[in-house]
Amino acid sequence: MTTDESETRRRSARSRTRRRFLTAAGAAGAAALAGCTAERVDDGGDESGGDGGGNGTDEDGSDGSDGGEEETPTLTVATYTNFIDAPSVSPGEWLKEEFESRYDAELEWATPDNEVNYYIERAASGAGIGADLYVGLTTEDLVRVDGELDEDLFAEAGDVEGRDAVKEGLRFDPFDRAVPFDTGYVSLVYDGTATEAPETFEGLLDDEHAGALIAQNPGGSSTGRAFLLHTINRFGDGGVASDGDGEAIEGGDGDPDYDYLDYWAELQANDVRVLGSWDDAYSAWSEGEAPIVVSYSTDQVFADMEGADLEEHQIRFLNDQAYANPEGMALFADADEPDLARRFMSFMLEPEVQGEIAQRNVAFPATDGAELPSDYAELAKEPSDPVTFTYDELQGSVDAWVEAWERQFAGN
Amino acid sequence: MTGADGGRAGRLARLREGVEANALTALAVLTSAALVVAFYYPAATVLIEAVVVDGAVTLRVFADVLTDPFYFGELARLLSGEPPAAVARSLLSPDRRLGVVGFTAYQAVLSTVASVALGLPAAYLLARYEFPGRRTLRSLTIVPFVLPSIMVAVGFVATFGENGTLNAALTALGLPRVELMFTLEAVVIAHAFYNAPLVARVTTAAWESVDASAVETARSLGAGPVRAFYDVVAPQVYPAVLTGAALTFVFTFGTFPIVLALGGFELVTVEVLVYRLVRDLSYAEAAVLAIVELAVSLAVLLAYLRYEARNATNARGARPLPRRSLLPPAPTLRELLPRAGLAVYAVVAGVVFVAPIASMVLASLTGGDGALTLEHYRFLVERQRTGAAFQVRPLPAIRNSLAFATAATLLALPMGVVVAVLTTRRYRGRTLVDAAAMAPLAVSGIIVGLGLLRGLVFGVEVAGWRIAAGGAVAIVVAHAVSGYPFVVRTVSPGLAGLDRSLVESARALGASRARVIRDVEIPLVWPAVVAGAAFAFAISIGEFTSTVVLSTGADAYTMPVAIERFIGRRLGPATAMGVVLLVVTGLSFVVIERLGGDHRGL
Repeated sequence: MTTDESETRRRSARSRTRRRFLTAAGAAGAAALAGCTAERVDDGGDESGGDGGGNGTDEDGSDGSDGGEEETPTLTVATYTNFIDAPSVSPGEWLKEEFESRYDAELEWATPDNEVNYYIERAASGAGIGADLYVGLTTEDLVRVDGELDEDLFAEAGDVEGRDAVKEGLRFDPFDRAVPFDTGYVSLVYDGTATEAPETFEGLLDDEHAGALIAQNPGGSSTGRAFLLHTINRFGDGGVASDGDGEAIEGGDGDPDYDYLDYWAELQANDVRVLGSWDDAYSAWSEGEAPIVVSYSTDQVFADMEGADLEEHQIRFLNDQAYANPEGMALFADADEPDLARRFMSFMLEPEVQGEIAQRNVAFPATDGAELPSDYAELAKEPSDPVTFTYDELQGSVDAWVEAWERQFAGN
Repeated sequence: MTGADGGRAGRLARLREGVEANALTALAVLTSAALVVAFYYPAATVLIEAVVVDGAVTLRVFADVLTDPFYFGELARLLSGEPPAAVARSLLSPDRRLGVVGFTAYQAVLSTVASVALGLPAAYLLARYEFPGRRTLRSLTIVPFVLPSIMVAVGFVATFGENGTLNAALTALGLPRVELMFTLEAVVIAHAFYNAPLVARVTTAAWESVDASAVETARSLGAGPVRAFYDVVAPQVYPAVLTGAALTFVFTFGTFPIVLALGGFELVTVEVLVYRLVRDLSYAEAAVLAIVELAVSLAVLLAYLRYEARNATNARGARPLPRRSLLPPAPTLRELLPRAGLAVYAVVAGVVFVAPIASMVLASLTGGDGALTLEHYRFLVERQRTGAAFQVRPLPAIRNSLAFATAATLLALPMGVVVAVLTTRRYRGRTLVDAAAMAPLAVSGIIVGLGLLRGLVFGVEVAGWRIAAGGAVAIVVAHAVSGYPFVVRTVSPGLAGLDRSLVESARALGASRARVIRDVEIPLVWPAVVAGAAFAFAISIGEFTSTVVLSTGADAYTMPVAIERFIGRRLGPATAMGVVLLVVTGLSFVVIERLGGDHRGL
């Protein structure tokens, strides 16, 4: 990954005038029919999450309606699809209704398929961002954004009320752009009626657990990547990425001669299954192909919702640890509504909202003092020793770690 | 009749002639435009990154990849300049390295062989035997082709898994259990599940176009049935089998989610790495790998096209061979043997095709506790009724899928026929035109998706304006571009094999080129046109990557998008949506075949 200044990626700074669609009269009909849009390059970006083809379905209210200052502002919040549309529960709908009932604003969700990468591409192509903030950033996302773009995609959070309540250990952005709003833990989930999962990483190498573990591809799945990172945290990286930052990661096992690649070689010899996505792995595990799977520590919350036998959904924290994946929200540097976006961020940190997000996203709050039902902790398990890599540790390393693992694991 | 009237009639006739004479050219131009807008330009915006890094042209990334044993195995050593003799020695040694590219090709070859082996008997059955429901079965053969990989994975684990149907059946029969999951075998069988239908469908169309009178002539001249088959039928069916094989190779060479779902990372393919590199924004390396994929796939396609061009056979008409009944008319060995073979095949097909699909249906009806339930379908109804505006709902997904697929098919048919006509002539540079026309099959879908984002959704700057396109029309064009090569590949062999004298006499009688295509050539290759239409429809229904990229509004999602969205901890809701997709597409194929079935001509 290169961070060189590149000529092709430069954009002229744009004045943030309100967008106008200026379609030549003759072409208007045909263009609308073909889902084409034409707009002045020096105008502000599209406000509606890349809505390129609204055949007159543009409802941002800023076209032609002469509302002056009284107009209801629209806040466009970009996020990943599961945040607003999961088959079980998702916080999107509740957040939209709650926010709109409190503030005179309309909240619009944007969920491009490539998630953060979509906005990186947008910024690089000079097409305007079209959203005010992003909800669901991880440490890795930030590292990728900063490695790819010369300009700032995100602005500093600045004056966001309630930010102090965010737990110290979760604040993952050294530049204070992303504000954490929840966190999840990646751990082992096992079927207690079929096996007793080992207590430690080393235990997975025992003969009795041969072929017992299903993990995911670290190159394509966030749980797979979290588990790989956890093994690096435990065994060290053997200096694989030292050309990145000149520092080798010391493993928690205290053995400098044994790194994560050694561990994975043994795991592979013990027949670990590395499948593609989390869905692949979880459904194969549900069908009983293997008794242990890499998943989330909140598994029992879902199992309980479905009335499943909790004995078949046991959580194991290897060495009492789990890899923490805090999620943050950050303001786009290009936001049309920065003040409203900051208001939304404070709203997301309120105790009541924090509790709702945790329950509806099936995760853990990012702040102290979130309002959660007293029995929430019975099903949503937290490790006594959460581990996670900091921004600085991941920067310049994570790609090399994944690549080295790929080369060893698939060296056919 | 006055002179003025005569003049007007003459003018009208001339106008019509003019339109007809130029129809072909106009269609060719439109086809090229669609290809440039929805394929070439977008793909080029990404592929260019293979050689342009940070604004400077470089071949470094190429060189790195080509000489990397991880990608090219022993071949990489040859490319990095090691002596050929040493490399040949390691190639012959048992622990040789194939590299990711080599392994990808290897599994694609295996998958192709398996697909042909499983597809041919089906074609034989459908083309040569008459039984109730034959036409419906023929329409349904293509259904597996459109299933999202997650559905296939669910069906396969339930069928071939540790606790699967197959093992249960084997145990019941007192046979040893099989450990199929997460092996190369499972991946190959899944690829055959996807692609054998393609082989079967293309071959059936060709077999049904064999002219019975040619066989009768051969027989009356004293050839035995075997000899007649070898000399008359086989030469016409053979190219179609190769078409199916070439397409299968290209598809399985670019295989992506299914290898990891059923095999595991040890069986990693090039496309999996392309996905990872794109996700991590390592575009240069991703583009190089995509170009490698493109080169291999195009080489296979072009080799096949050369064969096809050299082996064009002459067909004069289409009075299909009479079909035999499945019940043997007389209990002779010659009658019994092929039917016994078909009976064995029926069992195999039952395990490979029917069992996984039945398992998917069962999964959609099974609750978390293993009992039968309709709760997943209730979820669909519930989501339809109460889903928020920004959530994906089943009915719009069905409606969009059908609308896009219908429009894409109607667009892909003329595109495919025009290109088929252009590529059945001989001229210098035809290979180039062939390659250009087939390229959409050979480029990585992930790369095309990224290109569509950059090229269409973000648009291009022209003189201070930014022109962008997204939404329904863009999706339809992108789908048509993905589907039209199938129309070309099914229609082209038949057109090439047509007796030129038919066309020439029509032309001599004053018909324009376009008119000849419409009234003479298309009717003669009609079964192939219908097969091509079914493929174009199937490609559109099953397409995912371009659709999510281009559905820039919140309302252009399709059934595969809905399936993906409904995947949760339990796959019930997703499988229920998958069954909806199964039923809707199955019905659509039956309708397509019925529409195209008996009336010939347009």
